[in-house]
Amino acid sequence: MIGIIDYGLGNLRSVAGAVRKLGYPVEISADPARLAAADKLILPGVGAFGDGMRNLTTRGLIEPLADMVMKQGKPVLGICLGFQLIAEESEEFGRHRGLGWIPGRVQRIQPGEKGLRVPHVGWNDFTARRDCILFDGVPADALFYYVHSYHLVANDNEIVGTCDYGGPIVAAVQRGNVFGTQFHPEKSQRHGLAVLKNFLERA
Amino acid sequence: MLRKRVVTVLTLNDGTLFRTKLFRPDYRYTINFVDAWSIDEIVILDVTRENADREKFLNVVATFAAECFVPISVGGGIRSLDDVQRYMAAGGDKVVVNTGALERPELITEIAEAYGAQCVVLSIDARKTDTGYEVMGAFGARPAGKDPADWAREAEKLGAGEIMITSIERDGALQGYDLELTKRVVDAVGVPVLTLGGAGNWKHMADAFKDAGVSAACTQNIYHFTETSIASAKKYLAGKGIEVRA
Repeated sequence: MIGIIDYGLGNLRSVAGAVRKLGYPVEISADPARLAAADKLILPGVGAFGDGMRNLTTRGLIEPLADMVMKQGKPVLGICLGFQLIAEESEEFGRHRGLGWIPGRVQRIQPGEKGLRVPHVGWNDFTARRDCILFDGVPADALFYYVHSYHLVANDNEIVGTCDYGGPIVAAVQRGNVFGTQFHPEKSQRHGLAVLKNFLERA
Repeated sequence: MLRKRVVTVLTLNDGTLFRTKLFRPDYRYTINFVDAWSIDEIVILDVTRENADREKFLNVVATFAAECFVPISVGGGIRSLDDVQRYMAAGGDKVVVNTGALERPELITEIAEAYGAQCVVLSIDARKTDTGYEVMGAFGARPAGKDPADWAREAEKLGAGEIMITSIERDGALQGYDLELTKRVVDAVGVPVLTLGGAGNWKHMADAFKDAGVSAACTQNIYHFTETSIASAKKYLAGKGIEVRA
């Protein structure tokens, strides 16, 4: 069973629908016991960083999730805000501590070129920096759907790939069992579903 | 590089896909279209005027969302965070606000704080006046006493993540977008702008990208809804040097 972490924010239904479409049983839950029973976890996300962390805290999920992910090594995929929450801290609406599952900070996008608008919304490229099972079999020219105003600044060795928006924006990271994508695989049609399938099958 | 978007807007009246040329609704056909071909994003709006049965509308949204793996923006009648929660639960990835934000601008901020600015699309309906343009609320019926560019700027400050500008005169006219209106809004804000109302051919879409600088061109008419026409629109745009997703 795939556990989708319900922290009161985010397009949970979209993510659950995509997982189901790929043929996996799925459960949306905020109950640590149910999530512990899952083979893999997805931390989806639409929303603000501070709200996300506060909701995870009030639902008593921070410690149990850290235990599952960091101690037991349960595979987890963070998507969009979920991808940012796995970092150490964010500057969105003030300074907030993140889950800290990978080193990194979340900052506002500062497009370098004129005419680039924030939020970064729409279909953009993915340029691989290193091999990662998430992108096995995904064509190099695949486009993915991004929608975000903040981006993750991560260490080089955890960056799987980037997209270009006034400079490189980290599009995917991996550190052991912790995976994350800034783009929405559940909203990126067939290539997005392929990324999700790789996580579900092979992570 | 970020691609320019071609967005389809679906308007539902009392749970039925509403078209200006009264075809019978066929959701299955639409769903197939949406996922199989290269539409970049979908906007679904409830335009029911009176006694709207939101459950009916949200059921249609949910039907779409179950088989749809591109982003869906949902709107029509949103007045509160509770409404947003219901629209998102039905499968929306973003919400579209219009009259609700005119009545109570802080609604934009409330949504942005709870869901992030990227979740809020402010829709502006505008009509031409003797001196410029005027924002209209309540399905284009009620003058809001605002200039569209000013309202767009204010909405951006309040937390809107995207602006969708619609020319009331051009809606359904197939004579092209109102590029002057669109450009005024594009120049007023730093967030992406979508334009709607008036697309009759692919050149109109190219004009909106090249001359008005929009991030997305929206089409509403159902005749765009065929495999060949979407593909040919994108081919045409690519031929004009506009970066689109194939």
